[in-house]
Amino acid sequence: MKFSYDWIRELVDGLDTTPADLARLITLKTAECEGVESHGSDSVIEVDNKSLTHRPDLWGHHGMAREVAAITGKKLLDPVKPRSFDGPRAVHVDIENYELSPRYSALVFENVTVRPSPVWLAERLEAVGLNAINNIVDVTNFVMAEIAQPMHAFDANKLHGETIFVRSAGAGEELAALNGESYVLDSSNLVIADAQGAIALAGVIGGAGSAISDSTTRIVLESANFNATSVRKTSSKLRLRTDASMRFEKAQDPVNTVRGLQRALELLEQVSPGIRLVGGLADAYRPLPAQPPVLLQIDWLDRKLGRAIAPAQIRAILEAIEFKVEEIDERTFSVFVPSWRATKDVSIKDDLVEEVGRMIGYDSITPVAPLAPARVPPASPRRGFHHHIREMAVAQGFTEVYNYSFLSDDQARVFGFDPAGCVQVANPIAAGHNLLRPSLLPLIWKNIGDNARHFDQFRFFEIGREIHPDGETPHFAAAIFAKDDGVASLFELKRLTECLTPGASVRPSPRARPYEHPYRAADVLLGAAAVGRLFEFHPSMVEAGRAAVLDLNLALLEEVQTPAPRYQALRRFPASAFDLSVVVPARELIGEVQARLASHAGANLLSILFLRDFALPGGQRSLSYRLTVGAWDRTLSSEEVSAIRGAVIESMRAAGYDLKV
Amino acid sequence: MTGLSDLRDVAIKGLDAAETLEAIEAVRVEFWGRKGKLALASKEFGKLSPEERARNGKLLNEYKQEFETLFEARKAGFESAALDARLESEWIDLTAPASGIRPGSLHPVTQVQKELEDLFVSLGFTVLDGPEVETEYYNFDALNIPAHHPARDMQDTFWLNAGSWPKESRLLRTHTSPVQVRGLEKLGPPLKMIAPGRVFRNEEVDASHEHTFYQLEGMMVDRDVSVAHLIYFMKTLLSAIFHRDVTVRLRPGYFPFVEPGFELDIQCLICGGTGCPVCKHSGWVELLPCGLVNPAVLRASGVDPEQWNGFAFGLGLTRLVMMRYAIDDIRLLMSGDLRFLNQF
Repeated sequence: MKFSYDWIRELVDGLDTTPADLARLITLKTAECEGVESHGSDSVIEVDNKSLTHRPDLWGHHGMAREVAAITGKKLLDPVKPRSFDGPRAVHVDIENYELSPRYSALVFENVTVRPSPVWLAERLEAVGLNAINNIVDVTNFVMAEIAQPMHAFDANKLHGETIFVRSAGAGEELAALNGESYVLDSSNLVIADAQGAIALAGVIGGAGSAISDSTTRIVLESANFNATSVRKTSSKLRLRTDASMRFEKAQDPVNTVRGLQRALELLEQVSPGIRLVGGLADAYRPLPAQPPVLLQIDWLDRKLGRAIAPAQIRAILEAIEFKVEEIDERTFSVFVPSWRATKDVSIKDDLVEEVGRMIGYDSITPVAPLAPARVPPASPRRGFHHHIREMAVAQGFTEVYNYSFLSDDQARVFGFDPAGCVQVANPIAAGHNLLRPSLLPLIWKNIGDNARHFDQFRFFEIGREIHPDGETPHFAAAIFAKDDGVASLFELKRLTECLTPGASVRPSPRARPYEHPYRAADVLLGAAAVGRLFEFHPSMVEAGRAAVLDLNLALLEEVQTPAPRYQALRRFPASAFDLSVVVPARELIGEVQARLASHAGANLLSILFLRDFALPGGQRSLSYRLTVGAWDRTLSSEEVSAIRGAVIESMRAAGYDLKV
Repeated sequence: MTGLSDLRDVAIKGLDAAETLEAIEAVRVEFWGRKGKLALASKEFGKLSPEERARNGKLLNEYKQEFETLFEARKAGFESAALDARLESEWIDLTAPASGIRPGSLHPVTQVQKELEDLFVSLGFTVLDGPEVETEYYNFDALNIPAHHPARDMQDTFWLNAGSWPKESRLLRTHTSPVQVRGLEKLGPPLKMIAPGRVFRNEEVDASHEHTFYQLEGMMVDRDVSVAHLIYFMKTLLSAIFHRDVTVRLRPGYFPFVEPGFELDIQCLICGGTGCPVCKHSGWVELLPCGLVNPAVLRASGVDPEQWNGFAFGLGLTRLVMMRYAIDDIRLLMSGDLRFLNQF
């Protein structure tokens, strides 16, 4: 919203603050000023619209002038001169639903001359970013910019019948609007209509059919109030934001409609000499219940702000912004909210904390430490776990990446996800961002391709959330890219798995997924539960190198509680060790043979260690292991050790293995 | 007996002349070994008179001690030379690169987030988490932003669909503020919490705008929490974050979930408040929105606003990271580009 400094100065008696200082004061007390620019001899103060969202009154200069007068201690001048409209109304107004249109006021004029506005009027409008069109339309915009009351002028000769209807649009009803567009409406849109149909979208835009033109001689001047939600719904549905809709959606003051007509009448008499009012005021409204006053306890206010303020000062502050204050007792006020602040903005005592606080200045409050008992905050185990995983991965050389939560259909399909089964973005920012990721892998794959352009080898990880229709699952994904045969990378990730999740094992997967190397893919198991996947990307998916990937479900890992370590007494008797070599077929699993050996070694087996894998002629392999055995309460005799060894050999042979002994 | 003295001279000369450990050993064996020439000399003492025998015996002892002293000295010399030679041969070039993997890097957002979490935990705050896919209720309604409220314009929203959901009934959270309500529902007052996390806005991406970024929500709910307490906490925290005393100011700001609401500015750390390009010559940098928790939010969280109240703030984690590392393009943070990430 642009504010003309000269305009504000006209409304604040004796204002002598420079534009730059005024902008600074407004920022500190009222709303954020984004800058001051000169516009001819005037200066324009630009205020951030977001900081005016709750202030319908500040969408006009008079509202801002009220703030400025209160801040600077000057007197506010009212541009609206009270004027009574005698005579019977010249037009009938029929409001279908007062919820949607609490008030509709109108005047009819004749002997209208349409011509360009005088320079002073056109310049005022241009200073605040409104285009000058003709004297009649410009007056409506001027009043809007001055007292925040949007208005509309219809060419009375182009209206049908003597009644203006304010009603919901019929399904499929059309309106050709002033902006040259045509809109197809439905019952959620409120329209202004004559006997033949819609002539305006209430609070949003006028119709082309009744627009002011050079030939206009009679006008109906509308000054109405519309429901904020209704205007906003229509405006967002039709994607049509106008100066009027922006104001109405902030909940304008119904009291203001007649003030708007009073001000417009004075201006029209200046810019269209000879213009004559036809009859009196048409003014349809349902009396609104008065908002009850807000009870303000001074002690409560002091506690909220954290400083004491004299009751007289509180009263002075509130009265300067035209709140009415009645004293209930020495420490209690009854505060009446002015109509232009009462529509949505101020209704509870907390709102008054802001009014008093900003005007007295937050810099007058001394920071105070709260007197709260010391408490140990509840722990956040998940966060601790994720940070632990991160730090372990970084220590192993992995760099952390963050990826978007969005995927394209193609990215999902490559990884076997049906886009229809994913969470979909109804209004994606780009075509390739229309799904939420059900897996971290598609973007990990993208990271590999992107970084392979710059590095011969690299490793990285991400902790992020998979998003499924039934919930979010935190995952850890790590990747290693290298220009080699890929074996070392897989084992490096296996080592990482063991660092991150002690006790995890890897079980080769008989059914690799399409993006996996069919012979280099495995489940990561914790106990019997699959908690992740270790694999190499299918070589066809990675150019000029190999990429190994680890994907772990952190929600599952987090559930596995590692018991606190329990001390065990140190062994007092020495252990014995012996080596065994098992001859196996080419694709026998080292882990499986080891498990078998262990299962046959009995209760005195302390540990089993894989030593080497030796290729034999004819494609067989010899796998060597070292078994360490010992009893807790004595030293095993050589006979006992031999007996264990013999039993293992015998059992293995019985299971069909050939042992070299 | 001149024989002894001559032998002694030859032995000493032999030791002196020897050039290796083996050579002195050979000399020792020749003269003082079990069958050494001097060792055997005593066997001939039997033919001598007792006086002669005693005199020769004493002499032989002196020769033996003299030889051994010299022998040990020479031996030590050879051993030390041999050690020196071995060590010398073990010279290595320590400027050669060390093998093995180096630690990677934590993402800069993680680093700053962790630092802030630790800071807040040390002040008695708990760290909470919330879903990225939120309901309209928690993201807006419970935060006093009803449907069709213009404040929804402040946060362009990604709306979501999935087979089993009512159409567009969920969204990607536009802020971490829903965790205020979720946190109070779960833990109740009194509560001091923060909630760092990923948030989404449907905004075009450029060097200073991202549709995906990080915030850190904070809230304290207790009896009689005041604006004075809020300023105290913000000043304490920001001084810790920036590792120096910071001057803060509050000015009005509108956020429906707080009342009163503030924009908190800090005095520009670059120019100290005199004005520079970083603070657009105002002396102040806008840092975070905050305020006293709106009673409507407390009620939505099942908390009686007549009994409890609090303050809340929202720190732009991504923005803080960019300030700290002077990152001039926000897109790098989500790029996955290791040329960028390896720098941290």
